[in-house]
Formats: sequence, C-alpha cells, structure tokens
Amino acid sequence: MMAAEKKRIRKLTIAKAMSEAIDQAMTSNPDVFVMGEDVGKLGGVFGTTTGLFDKYGPDRVRDTPISETGFIGAAAGAAVMGMRPVVELMFIDFFGVCMDVIYNFAAKNSYFSGGRQAVPMVLMTSAGGGYSDGGQHSQCLYTTFAHLPGLKVVMPSNAYDAKGMMTAAINDDNPVIFIFHKSLQGMGWLGTAKGAIVDVPETVYEVPLGKANISREGSDITVVGFGNTVHHALDAARDLALEGISAEVVDLRSLAPLDRETVLASVRKTGRLLAVDDDHLSYGWTGEVIASVAEAGIALKCPARRIAYPDVPVPFARPMEQFLLPNAEKVKAAVLSLMNSVVSV
Amino acid sequence: MSRKPDIQTMLWMYKHMVLSRRYEEALAEAYLEGKQPLFNMANGPLPGEMHLSNGQEPCAVGVCAHLLDHDVVTATHRPHHIAIAKGVNLRAMTAEIFGKQTGLAGGRGGHMHLIDPAVNFACTGIVGEGLAPAAGAALARKMRGEDGIAVAFIGEGAANQGAFHETLNLAAVWNLPFVCVIEDNSYGISVPKGAATSVLHNDVRAASYGIRGYHVEGNDPLRIYEVAGEAIERARAGKGPSLIEIETYRLAGHFMGDAESYRPAGEKDALFARDPIPKFRQELVDAGAASSDDLLWIEEDAKSCVAELIDFAKAEAYAPVQEALEKVFV
Amino acid sequence: MQIKIEDDFWQGDDEAVITAWLVDDGAEVAEGDVVAEMMLAKVQMEIEAPCSGVIHIEMEAEVPLKKGMVIATIDQ
Repeated sequence: MMAAEKKRIRKLTIAKAMSEAIDQAMTSNPDVFVMGEDVGKLGGVFGTTTGLFDKYGPDRVRDTPISETGFIGAAAGAAVMGMRPVVELMFIDFFGVCMDVIYNFAAKNSYFSGGRQAVPMVLMTSAGGGYSDGGQHSQCLYTTFAHLPGLKVVMPSNAYDAKGMMTAAINDDNPVIFIFHKSLQGMGWLGTAKGAIVDVPETVYEVPLGKANISREGSDITVVGFGNTVHHALDAARDLALEGISAEVVDLRSLAPLDRETVLASVRKTGRLLAVDDDHLSYGWTGEVIASVAEAGIALKCPARRIAYPDVPVPFARPMEQFLLPNAEKVKAAVLSLMNSVVSV
Repeated sequence: MSRKPDIQTMLWMYKHMVLSRRYEEALAEAYLEGKQPLFNMANGPLPGEMHLSNGQEPCAVGVCAHLLDHDVVTATHRPHHIAIAKGVNLRAMTAEIFGKQTGLAGGRGGHMHLIDPAVNFACTGIVGEGLAPAAGAALARKMRGEDGIAVAFIGEGAANQGAFHETLNLAAVWNLPFVCVIEDNSYGISVPKGAATSVLHNDVRAASYGIRGYHVEGNDPLRIYEVAGEAIERARAGKGPSLIEIETYRLAGHFMGDAESYRPAGEKDALFARDPIPKFRQELVDAGAASSDDLLWIEEDAKSCVAELIDFAKAEAYAPVQEALEKVFV
Repeated sequence: MQIKIEDDFWQGDDEAVITAWLVDDGAEVAEGDVVAEMMLAKVQMEIEAPCSGVIHIEMEAEVPLKKGMVIATIDQ
C-alpha cells in the first residue's frame, strides 16, 4: 500500500530530541549506555534522558554519585574498551572538578596510541545564562573545550540538529562535548526560544559534526552565531529585512572542528562580518572566526565586529546580567552601524 | 568532654532555628511572585535557582552555637540557615539574595554566593568546593598562631567528591583546626544516599584518615550541639580535625520548582511530622527552659524581623548596570 | 473533536500553562501524538491528540489555562 499520506509535522524540544537520539542508539547498539547525576528516574534535570530509565533499566541508565572525576573517567575507560557511553554533567560550570581525565586522557588517547585506541564517548552538558542563576550556573565556557585538541565541541540551535548531532556524536569514534543551551532546551521552567522547537523526523539520521549551517540566506552581511546567539541573529535578521538589509545567518553548530569554509564563503559573498557569542569575549571563538577571515585575505567592506559576553563573571542581579548578555537588539544595532561604516584607507 | 547547652544558648538556638525557617518561608513566598501560573525560573523578584534549608536548621545552630566571628565557615548551595546562625549581616544578605546594590556583593553573587568577611562566612554553588578552602583557612590560622578554627559544611553527596577525601587527608596530615560537618539530608537532588554512597554512614570514613568521626541521629539540635562542641573543642586545643555526619532532612525540594517525584509516597508527610522546630519547642517547655509565652515572643520577633528584612530588600535599588563590569579584580 | 482541559487532569483549581505547542496550527495529527507540553506549578505534562485529524490551535502558549477550557479542536 503506497497511499499518498500528508506528511505529518512532529515538533520536538531539544530535550526530547536528544532523548530520542539516545533511545534509538541504545536500541540498535547494546554498547551505548548512559551515566550521570539524576539521569535515571528523573530523566535528567534538563530532560535529556526522558523515558530511558523505564525502558532500559538501571544497568544501562546509571545514576551516579556526585563523583565526576570517577564517573567521567570511568566513561572514558569504558569507551576505550569499546563501549559508547553517553555521560551527562548537569552544568558546564561543574567541569572544574573532573577536567584532567577529559583533556589529558580522553582528548589525547588517540594521539598517544598512534591513532590505535579510540575514546568514543559523548559528554553532554548544559550551558548559558539569562535566568539569573548566578556565576557558577550560567557560564558558557565553550572555547575552554574547543581550545583543546582531541575534543569535538558541538552545540545544536534547534531540535532537528540536536537529534542528528547526538546520533552523529554517539557514532563518532572520538570524544564529543555535546553542549545544549538552557535557553533552547524546552524545559517549561526555563523558557525556550520558539525557533528551537522544530520538526524532527522519527527516523534515525545524522547531522554531520563539524559542518556549519546557513540558517538564513542573505547578501549584505554575514552574522555568525552558535547556539542561542543564532536565534538572536535570526530575530535581528527578520527585523533588518524590513529595513532593506539582507543578513545571512551562519550557525556554526561546531567549534571543533570549525567549519571555516562555510564562514569564508559567506563572507566572500557579503563582504561584512559580525560574530555573536554569549561566552566571554577574550580568546573566544569570535576572535578565531575573524582571524580566519583575515588570514584568508578577504577584503571586507567594513571592519569585522564581534558581540560577546564581557570578560567578567556572570552576575546574579537580573538587570546586570541582561545588560551584559547579547540579544537581538544588540545584533541589529551592530549590523546597522556596520552597514553605515566603511574601511578607512 | 561533651556538655549540654545552658538555657541562654538553647534559647539562642531556638531563636535562630525559627528565624531561619521564617526567613526561608518568606523567600519561598517572594520566589513564587511572578512565577504563577507559569513557573519560569527567570521571572519575579527572585529569579534563578533557590535552595531552601527548611528542616536542616538544627545542623546550623548546633554547630554555630560554638563559633565566634573569627572562626571560618564555608557552606553550600543551601546556605541560608548556616549564614543566619553564623551571624551574617542579614540586611546585606537579604539585599544580595534580591540582587540589590546594598547586598553583600552589590547583587553580583546571589543566594549561592554569599560572602561576609566580617564573620568569616562564605558559600558556593559547586558541590564540595568549600572543603579545601576551609582547610586552608585553618592552615592560615595555625601558621600565624591566630585563634579560630574552620568548619566546612557539605551535603552527604559531597562526601563522594575527590575534594572530600583529599581535604580530610590533608587536614589530618597537617593536624589542622578543621571540622567537616556533613548535613545528610538523604538525597543528592533525586538520588538517594544509598544509591550513591558505599557506606551507610560517612563518619566511618574518618578512620581512613586517622581522625575522629561522629555520627548524629535524629536531627536533634541538642545532640548536635554536644557532638560539635567536642569536635570544635578538640580543634581549638590543637588535637586535630574531625568529621561529623548529621542525619537531617530537607522539608523542601532540592530547589524551588523541584516536583520531588523521586520521594516515596508519604515520605514528605512523615518528615513534616518530625519537624525539628515544634519538637525542640516542646523540649524547651518540658525542660522548664522557657515558657510557651517566652517562645511565642521569640517567634513573633522572628516573624517581624523577617518581614522587615524582606520589605527592606525589595525596596532597595538595583545597582547601575555598569557596575556589573567592576570588581573582577580587587 | 475538542482538546479540553478536563476536570480530572489535575487536583484543585490551579491554573496551568501550555509551554510549547509541538504542532503547527492546521497540521495533521494522529491519535496519541503529543501535541503540546504543559506546566502545572512545577510539573511538566504532555497533551496528546485524542483522535487523528487536522488540528486547530485555540489557545496560544504561555496563556493561563483553567479547567474546562478548549485548547484546540481536531477536524477528523
């Protein structure tokens, strides 16, 4: 029976999309298992393991003690033996206690074994602020990881990418830091950017890691974002279109590997560049993107610019935090000012 | 060595337990403003996470009754009861929790980051983070020959952190005036202690480091007072560090917004039936330490004190936003 | 068929809020599909389509909901 059926649209939150990707991987591959704090019955504080405990039980969905050095190190060790652990550390802010095994062991094991020993693990963790959770629960720290060779560092901006990237991350033979942004996650108690909840196929599919996405095509300026700042860029681009400015929005999706080609091709087309990050400004990926454009010798119509979180810890007070965070208005203002400026000769 | 508190101390303990409870209740009320019917953490006068200490008051008063301003305390993400018992400036603390300019950190810290150098109190949002700095504070006191010991409060979940084991070993090797107090409230968010900890009681782990270990049952402020008194006296006398595990419980969720679906049916009701405050109140009356009227006066006083604090903090101004860029360095 | 907030959906008279529609207005849905996520105080809940058909959204996300309200209709 091949009766023509109207395609059903099924939207998911990023939380559900991640859970579904992990679920499908666990069904097809007995080596995939989950570990982390509150990932069992609770289904993850950020909903990343919803339903998995009931389906697979405590052997494959393991609640851990608050012992990150132990369980993340154990995940790396199990991965070396051929398992494919998906491990969660609730907040990216918490990595200080267990960093050694991540950057000195998991990240370097392929190199130290001459490429003969893989560490196929996924480390998923939440990032981002905006809801006044203070300076130890609101950080981004993306480039802290992206700076370290041997780790793939990715973050989806929507549920379609979340599922495909999680599937790709589990299938990848290298350690992947899979970051999800709290402003996009789809937890009712956090509020969620509407653009993050999108149609997600029920079938298994991959979104390749290390490949940026053109989220919106444009011709006047390239605005590069990552995670939540993609939505700031898209919101600004919609506004700017009303003023006759055509902004192209690039969603990096991955910091390591960094898809320089997609960024360069876009900037060659538009001749203008704005990079928007909610991580700290200095030594952040915005600088890396702009440096790549400079090194490629692309002549810009105006100086490149970046918007990022200033080099201060995240304050608790709502007015202070909102003042420091990037948003669509800041992106729009920066684009307008860039469109009116020229390179001095 | 252990001794019972005198009447004055018992009343001080009761007063601070009640003050802490009323304080948390008032915060809970303010926290829900702007969050109904949609519970969005970002909204209302108290955005972000809020970890309340209802039920754990005996730990704070039983230990802090022995401490002076120069004694150092590090606390956890659930810090209010300890801060109150340690004598943190409550106006500045409340203003900080509401993010205001007159807060302890001008609104930069928030409820998990309360630092009051005047009474040597600090807390942190990272599990187990306060342990080693507390041992370091004890080291500083010892090296300079100064009075004062250090107490690190942690939850039972933190006893499975590397920092716990490293710090106890260090404190033991260097014979530091240091006490580690574990508030065992049975859960690390949703994970029960039994699923996360290899021993029934953490005090046995003290043996691994050759230090004193104490276990206190019943969430009983008087018993906590006695045990903490012995450990703190030993620390002051240069007899080395101790580890105390106190069985307590939280009458609140892990944070405001926690649906507590992980608790067995009826557990919450049973906990409320054992609420330490009415229990202690009855003990004080039975022992003739105070009349019911005296205690009522303490209770009314706590209520009005808290109301005044909340009104004050709400009325205070936020700092100009540019101040967010200041104080990264001293 | 209507998707209505039934009296036995939760206890008491609290208001709930749809946090996200997981389908577009006018989309095709199948019986049992999760069409929306809802929050009641601290608890996140799902709303399923009671039948198959084309859904018409009557209540936008983030609007307070009382019992008895119709949040969507489905043309079978």
